[in-house]
Amino acid sequence: MKFLLSLAWKNLFRYGRRTFITAAALAVGIAAYIWMDGWLLGAEKESERNIIWYESGSAKIMDADYAEELKSLPLKHAMENPGAVEAAIADLGLTHTRRIRFAGELFFGEGSLMVQAIAVDPATDERVFRLPETVAEGEYLDGSGTGVAGEAQALIGRWLAQDLGAEVGDLLEIRTRTRYGAFQTIELLVAGILDSPNPVINQGTVFLPLALAEESLQMEGAVTEIALYFPEWQEPEDRMSEIRGALSGFPELSLVGWRELARDYLMIAQAKTAGSSIILLLVFIIAAVGISNTMLMAVYERVREIGMMRAMGMQDGSIRLAFLFEAGGIGLIGSAAGLALGAAVNFYMVRWGIDLGALMGDMEIGYRVHSVFRAAWHPQALVGGLVFGVLASMVVSFIPSSRALKMGITDCLRHT
Amino acid sequence: MIKVDDVRKEYHAGQTVVHALKGVSLEVQAGEFLSIAGPSGSGKTTLLNLIGCLDKATSGQISIDGQSVGDKDKRELAYLRREKLGFVFQTFNLIPVLSAFENVSFALSLLGVDGQELGERTNAILREVGLGGMERRLPGQLSGGQQQRVAIARALVKGPSIVLADEPTANLDSGTGQEILELMAELNRRHGTTFIFSTHDRMVMDFARRLVLLHDGLITEDRAVRATGGKA
Repeated sequence: MKFLLSLAWKNLFRYGRRTFITAAALAVGIAAYIWMDGWLLGAEKESERNIIWYESGSAKIMDADYAEELKSLPLKHAMENPGAVEAAIADLGLTHTRRIRFAGELFFGEGSLMVQAIAVDPATDERVFRLPETVAEGEYLDGSGTGVAGEAQALIGRWLAQDLGAEVGDLLEIRTRTRYGAFQTIELLVAGILDSPNPVINQGTVFLPLALAEESLQMEGAVTEIALYFPEWQEPEDRMSEIRGALSGFPELSLVGWRELARDYLMIAQAKTAGSSIILLLVFIIAAVGISNTMLMAVYERVREIGMMRAMGMQDGSIRLAFLFEAGGIGLIGSAAGLALGAAVNFYMVRWGIDLGALMGDMEIGYRVHSVFRAAWHPQALVGGLVFGVLASMVVSFIPSSRALKMGITDCLRHT
Repeated sequence: MIKVDDVRKEYHAGQTVVHALKGVSLEVQAGEFLSIAGPSGSGKTTLLNLIGCLDKATSGQISIDGQSVGDKDKRELAYLRREKLGFVFQTFNLIPVLSAFENVSFALSLLGVDGQELGERTNAILREVGLGGMERRLPGQLSGGQQQRVAIARALVKGPSIVLADEPTANLDSGTGQEILELMAELNRRHGTTFIFSTHDRMVMDFARRLVLLHDGLITEDRAVRATGGKA
């Protein structure tokens, strides 16, 4: 064994340039894998956080029919008595807030856009969501929900403001229907412009005061949802079971977790991960072909040597092992270099990230990340990349060495 | 010690059958210094390969120390070669990344010898073949003659009963070739190891004490000779 390891080690440097090129190809493959995996994981984690913090909360209590038709935001299925619901869950120590979510057409100047309007309670909303932190211009909704002249205040996302050409202080109109189907126009003063890390908020959402929406939409105390927040470390499934238990007296209500609410995003994220895996597989195939080719050449050039070793009584298994060690050595050098390179790139990506904000306004890529994409550390990918690189290198060397060992000893010795 | 009984060997090259050996019988006693000679294509390398268990005869029997090699499987043949046989090749076949010491000790490590014994036996044989002080040199740093000395040391270090040498001087100039043959003859006398070498070189034949002439796959002459060492 010691001799085989020594022979494999020395053979690694027999054709140093070839070893270097092969190991470099593998290193680039491993580094790309670590980088992409870290980036995707970072984007996923940040997306999940941004969904919870800005879009859905940890979960929502809604009327079951409203939840069923969530895409059309039907006000007719609003929750009638939110106070009773809040009382039912009061003992659970949850933070929660009421919201009314409805669809409308936003008019500004000569342009209009379909938007999602969310009426929030400025006094309680930040218990669940983090909108105030994202006000880039102007101010967050104050408690009264009205401006100096008594106009109703609104917050709009930065990209929506850019699309409309609206600024703080401009007046907007939302045309919608009340809970009973009557047409309604709501005039709003842009109090603030939001620059949220979640692009959905920036793209097409208008926030207005809950009291205004209740009155304008004839809600009569009803809301469309009670949004809840609990930290992820609180075992979400256990938490959800507790809440369901507390809501047992409200069969008409539905408790929907953020994963269900963000199903579209999760499906896209899964598809992206699968797509990325295919790309990574291709990278590895290229690296594997490189190693296989290197080992094929190494074996071909050493057929006589193999013949000599077999003539001297070395078992085929030992000869194969020598080539496996050699390929494993290339794999180890390449994987270790790839690990170092990938970790260095990932470190930069975790620490500083890449700002894709200039592209994100015009491009929908599925992730709920607005501008700076940061990676995350994924120890399994680091270890897995290293182990896979070494093992894959050893596996692909099996075929060339087997071919040489199938030859007769005398054919090996005659080989030129 | 070595008994070759009516051995035939056929090669198939497409539709053509080449009869390399057409019924060869031969007995070799321990300690002989024997040359198998003949022109190219006469079957001498084939005979050497069959005696060396590197190839299988189409028919006939070969036995070494009373053991028939025909019924042994691959693993048993490898064991037999490792224990009893040493090989010296025309092109030396040294491993270029290993030093002279490592090339020789490799044969011992196959037998599980290691540590101090491995070092002592390897150094001793290298000194015996005249390579004392060159242990750390790589094959590329040695002359052709020195490389063949390493190959002889590698064949002998494990103390085999038989050394098979296929045209051992063919890649050497005549002076160096003569030195190698003198060395082999000396080692044969000193260790009592049987040497069988193939050649078509007159000078090499002159070193043998028994000459087996092959022609067209058949032994045409088998006689004891007085070794002249190329000086006759």
